[in-house]
This record gives sequence, structure tokens and C-alpha cells, in this order.
Amino acid sequence: MATLTAGVPKHAAGAAGIKQHASWSPYDDNGGTTLAVAGADYCIVAASMRMSTGYSIMTRRSSKILQLTDKCVIASAGFQADMKALHKMLQSRNVTYQHSHAKPMSCPATAQLLSNTLYHRRFFPLFTFNICAGLDDEGKGAVYTYDAIGSYERTGYSCQGSGKDLMQPVLDNQLKAASPLLIPARGDTVEIFVITKEGVRREELELKKD
Amino acid sequence: MSGIGTGYDLSATTYSPDGKVFQTDYAQKAVDNSSTALGIKCKDGIVLAVEKLVVSKLLVERSSRRIHNVDRHAGICVAGLLPDGRMVVNRAAEEASNYKSFYGEPIPGRVLCERLASYMHLFNLYWSMRPYGTAGLLATYDEDGPALYLVEPSGVAHKYHGTAVGKARQAVKNELEKMKLGQLTCREAVVEAAKILHKVHEEDGKPFEIEMSWICDDSGRVHQRVPAEVLAEAEAAAKAAMEESDMED
Amino acid sequence: MLPRPTTHSKALGPGVAGPELAVATSAVLDRPPQPTAQRPLSGAQAFSVDPSLVESADGPRQHTQYPYVTGTSVLAVKYAGGVMLACDTLGAYGSTKRYKSLERIIRVNARTAVAAGGEISDFQYITRLLEELATDDYRTDDGIELGPREVFSYLTRVMYNRRGKMDPLWNSLVVGGVEADGTVFLGTVGMIGTHYTDSHVATGFGAHLARPMFRERQSDDMSEADAEALLRDALRVCYYRDKQSINKFQVAKATGEGVAIGKPFALETKWDYKAFAAPTKWAIGAW
Repeated sequence: MATLTAGVPKHAAGAAGIKQHASWSPYDDNGGTTLAVAGADYCIVAASMRMSTGYSIMTRRSSKILQLTDKCVIASAGFQADMKALHKMLQSRNVTYQHSHAKPMSCPATAQLLSNTLYHRRFFPLFTFNICAGLDDEGKGAVYTYDAIGSYERTGYSCQGSGKDLMQPVLDNQLKAASPLLIPARGDTVEIFVITKEGVRREELELKKD
Repeated sequence: MSGIGTGYDLSATTYSPDGKVFQTDYAQKAVDNSSTALGIKCKDGIVLAVEKLVVSKLLVERSSRRIHNVDRHAGICVAGLLPDGRMVVNRAAEEASNYKSFYGEPIPGRVLCERLASYMHLFNLYWSMRPYGTAGLLATYDEDGPALYLVEPSGVAHKYHGTAVGKARQAVKNELEKMKLGQLTCREAVVEAAKILHKVHEEDGKPFEIEMSWICDDSGRVHQRVPAEVLAEAEAAAKAAMEESDMED
Repeated sequence: MLPRPTTHSKALGPGVAGPELAVATSAVLDRPPQPTAQRPLSGAQAFSVDPSLVESADGPRQHTQYPYVTGTSVLAVKYAGGVMLACDTLGAYGSTKRYKSLERIIRVNARTAVAAGGEISDFQYITRLLEELATDDYRTDDGIELGPREVFSYLTRVMYNRRGKMDPLWNSLVVGGVEADGTVFLGTVGMIGTHYTDSHVATGFGAHLARPMFRERQSDDMSEADAEALLRDALRVCYYRDKQSINKFQVAKATGEGVAIGKPFALETKWDYKAFAAPTKWAIGAW
């Protein structure tokens, strides 16, 4: 993960580059994997619920998915505190939007807002890796995938977070061939959001908790 | 007392030839016209009470507070222009909070009173400002025990055994002077206060409710509203006493 | 466990790691100090400040880079009707057991308790923030009291804001309490703002030593006696293995009846296990 040790004075590092005392980083990697798949008129979003630091599990039940509207959710992996700050910010922007426009924000609009929000922090980035997913204005499934500083694109499916290296090839293989999905997942619980024109349905899939 | 038409009452920075500041006097008038509020210092604490006229049947009961907390150990009952009163209460809370963060202990009543008086006084010093049309009965409980102060629009502040402001202040003060305040407990004073307010309100006939707070050993030396059941008991006792005296007449 | 300094700094004193003096004092010179424009000829320095600290290229140094006096693990579990928090009473100055009766659990209001590990001065600052918050809440007199969830949310924002300024409050905080509707709340927040709620939490060393025990034995409907027994066992393990702890603990509980912070106590310990005398006896390849 990215480390940032800004503001540490030169002399603190010691003469021969020996670290004299514990420093700190404003970032942590709290792990987690998120995944989204778009269909013709639906969208499925899933995220693990484990929150960890290093080899320690902090909790097995913490949600990474923010449901903004009936047609749009955001799933984020990375640094949990940044994730929560981002989610709070987006939620409040979403409420303000509804007050001034008298309608929920569309999924593509949310996607653009998320990009702008991330890029706004270009030089002190939010260490989050996001997927924005839902139904677009025509009711088609939409998945937008991001890097930490706001670069984004619309795709048919995407995954982010600590398990993405394992998952992306599976997605590429399974989704480009017409066969049932089999996602390799380890961890505690996966929460799954299924977005259709009827609304959003939440399910849970229990894993091995190893 | 009137400076109307003389031109001496246009600013708080102008004296009249006989040494009055009419703007300040007018502010005091705003307080004198207020509904009656009283404070009693008892042997174990302070009781604040105020009559609130129910100006409309549509008014929600016990709304529009007249007694406010300033800190855990201090409270103010305001009389006069209520929005002005709120400003004074907010300032008091700010002073209390600042004192606590600076000195690490709760602000003494004497200091709080002094600072509020200075604050109120400020508005008597500039032509661009209007003196606050409010007076505050300040109840505190500090290291030196309970204390009752009255801060007035001019910036004058006194410490009292018992006092009153508003329309029926003179009648209330007469009643208070008859009582042996030094031997009274707050529990007893709550009943007395209710009796007095009912009595001085008698001829008026308009509906009113009573708001009451105390800071005493019973309340853990914390300023709080008198519990509803204690207040209800006191009001019942006051009404009974009224009827009794009617029978005698 | 909290990172701790390992070497001494001449600028800050023994027991603390820190910057070295840019201009050495006579104490570390083999010759008298040379007079300079800024220094009196007498060489007197009642209070020496490292000039590089004041005039570094990055401007004056003002942010916490490492903790000075620290508290170690905080443990907490939910049980039927409440939450129980525990920690020792040590304030460590580096590896020195400097303050042995520091109380690291506070009552915020009738329904909320907060316990802290990490830098003690930062915790005292947080205590002040919470006192002001509670007084303001009392003053408002609207019949609503801040619940533990709200106090927790407030603290997560304070911690995250300070890390965003690159000036963190060097603490791990545990918030426990009971909501107005009787729901038991337990959460923790770290120095960079990471936070979560769970049935049991532990900070620092406790995250490694106590939480495995909690996972095995804790349940939300366990009795108060069981919860206290579990916490005592966990405290004992932490005391055995955490060098920066002492055998003087406090347990606090927050229930519907309010917050009760217990008096400090010591645990029965046993040090004459054979494995303690010869810790590597059965370890293959050890010497």
C-alpha cells in the first residue's frame, strides 16, 4: 500500500538512516474486496464484511457498501476511515441534491460526483478504491470503476480491493464465457446488493470465517 | 421620567440635564413591564420562579422558556424582552465555559455576575447600541455556597436574599420581607413562591403558568427545573391557600 | 502495541527518542562552547532548545510525531444489559513505569463511558472536549441526552480531523454504553480515525492477546459475573505478556442504571511455572 510520511523532519530519521522512533502514517490498509456485475436490466454488487489491519481482524461485520438511492450504490475498499469520510460526504451531497432538485441523483451523476470528490483530494488522496453501480437512466445495469484519485470508466463488471488480483481473471474468464459464476472468496461474510427496477435487495453469503 | 420630545433620549451616550440616561431608563421600563419573576435564597439553596402569561390557548404548554441553565452550577431567569434575555444567557454560558477551560474549575457566582454586568453595561456606552431590555436573576452554587444575584440593563448588579422583577415586583418584595428567608428550605420556598405568584396575580384573572427552578442540596447542587410533581404539589397548595383566604374574606 | 522510543535523545532527555541537538551543549562537548551571537558568553543555558527544531526548513515543528506518556491496552466486552471496560492504571514514559495510578476510564454522562490507550496528554484533552460536550448537552435542557453512539460518532470525527491535519491525537479510544432504548453499544476508534463497533473490542496488545479469548468466551447475553471473570482472565494474560503494563487495574461498567467505574485492584498472579524459568526448553532448535 501507499505509505506517506510527510512532515517527518529530516533529523528525526537519524544519522545513518536508522529509524530512531516510531513514526506514523495517516493511512492504513483495512483490506476487503468488492465486486459488481451489470446485467441488461439489473446490477449485482457484493462486498466482504471483514475489516482488518495487517494480520489482525478488527471486526467481521462492517459494511463497505453505501446505498445512496434505489438505483445506485457505492462499494469501497481500502482505508476504512477515508471510506467512512467519503461515504458521509456523498450521503450529505445526495441529500442536498434531493433538496434542490426534488429527485434522487441518477447513477451516472453519482459516478461523476464520486470522481470529482476523489480528484478534489488529488494531493492528499482518499485511500479508497471504489465501484459505483446501479441502473442508468435507461434502466440498464451500470458499473463504474475508479482508482484512488478519481480516474474512472464504465465497465460491464469490476472488482476492487485486496482480492482483486485473484478475482479479476475469474471474472474475465467466466463473464466472457456464458457459464455460471463461481467467485473464489475467503473471509467472513459477503453482502450482496441486487439492484433491479423493483428496487434494491440485500442478501448475505456466509464464508468460512478462517 | 420622560425624555420624550426633549431630544435627550435619542442615544445611550447622552445625559439629560438632570443626569439621567433615558435609553437606560427605557430599558429598565421594559423589564418593569415584564411578567413577574422572583428569586429566593434559602438556607440550602436558591429557588427561581416566574409567572408566564398564557397569551393564547393555542400556545404549547411550558414552551418559551424563561429559566435557562448556564452551567451545571448556575442558572438564569430572565425578565423583559426575551430575545435580549437569550443573548444574555448565551453570553453567560460562554463565560462559564471559558472560565472552566482556562482555570479548570467552575466559574464562581461572583465572577459570573460581574462579567454579565460588564457585558450588559457595554450596551450603555455607545450611541450605536441599544441597552438590553432584560434583567437576569442569577442563581449559583459554588464553593462559598448558594447565591442569588440580579443583573439589570444598566449594568448594575446586586446580591440578594430575595428579590423580584416585573409588574408585581413591589408586592412580591413585600411578601418576601415578611418571610424568614434564612430558615427556609428550598422545598418550602417552592410552595411559598407558588403562593406568592398566585396571590400577586389574583386581581389580573388572566391564565398563567409557573416555571420554577432550583439549585440546592436536594438537586445535587445542580441547577435544574423543579421536578414536575414537586411543582404540581406546590401549585395545589397555593390554590388551596388562596381559596382558604377567600373564605376568610 | 504502541510504538515506543528505543534510544535516548540529548535534546529531550533520557528515556525518550527524539532529535539530536544541532548545536551540541557543553555536556556532550570535550571543549567549552564557543560564544555565538545568539548565546551568552557565560555559556549559560537554563533551557536549551534545539535551533533546528525552531528553524528547520519545514518551519517550526508543532505536530505530535511520537507519544511521550502512554497507556497500554484497553479491553471491553458486551454482556446482558451492559458493557464492561477494563485497563491498567499505568502511564509509561518510554519503558519507565512513570505514573502508576492514572485512571484511563472516564464517565461522559449517565449512559456513556470512554476508555483510552496511547498518549495520556492527548486523552486529557479529549476528556476536556467530552466534558464540554456533556455540559453543553445538559445546558440545552431539552430532555435529550447524548447516547454512546453519538459520543462515538463525535470522537471518530475528532480523531479523523486531526489525522487529516497531520497532527493526530495519539490514542485508541473505546466507547461503551447503553442507548435510551436499552441497546448496548460498544465501539473503538484509533489515532487515524479507523473505527468499528463489535461485541468485544481490544486495543493495542489486547487486540492480539485478549480478542482470541473474547472470540471463544464472549456472548452478548452472558452474565455480568461471567463478563467480569472473562475480563480479569484477559487482563491477566495481557499483564503476563505486555512489558508495559502493571498489576493494577480498573474495571468499569455501563448499564441502564448508569456508569460505574470500579476502584483499582490487583490480580492474583503465578510466576513459578517451569516454562517461565526455562522458556525455550521444549522448543526445537532453541538454545
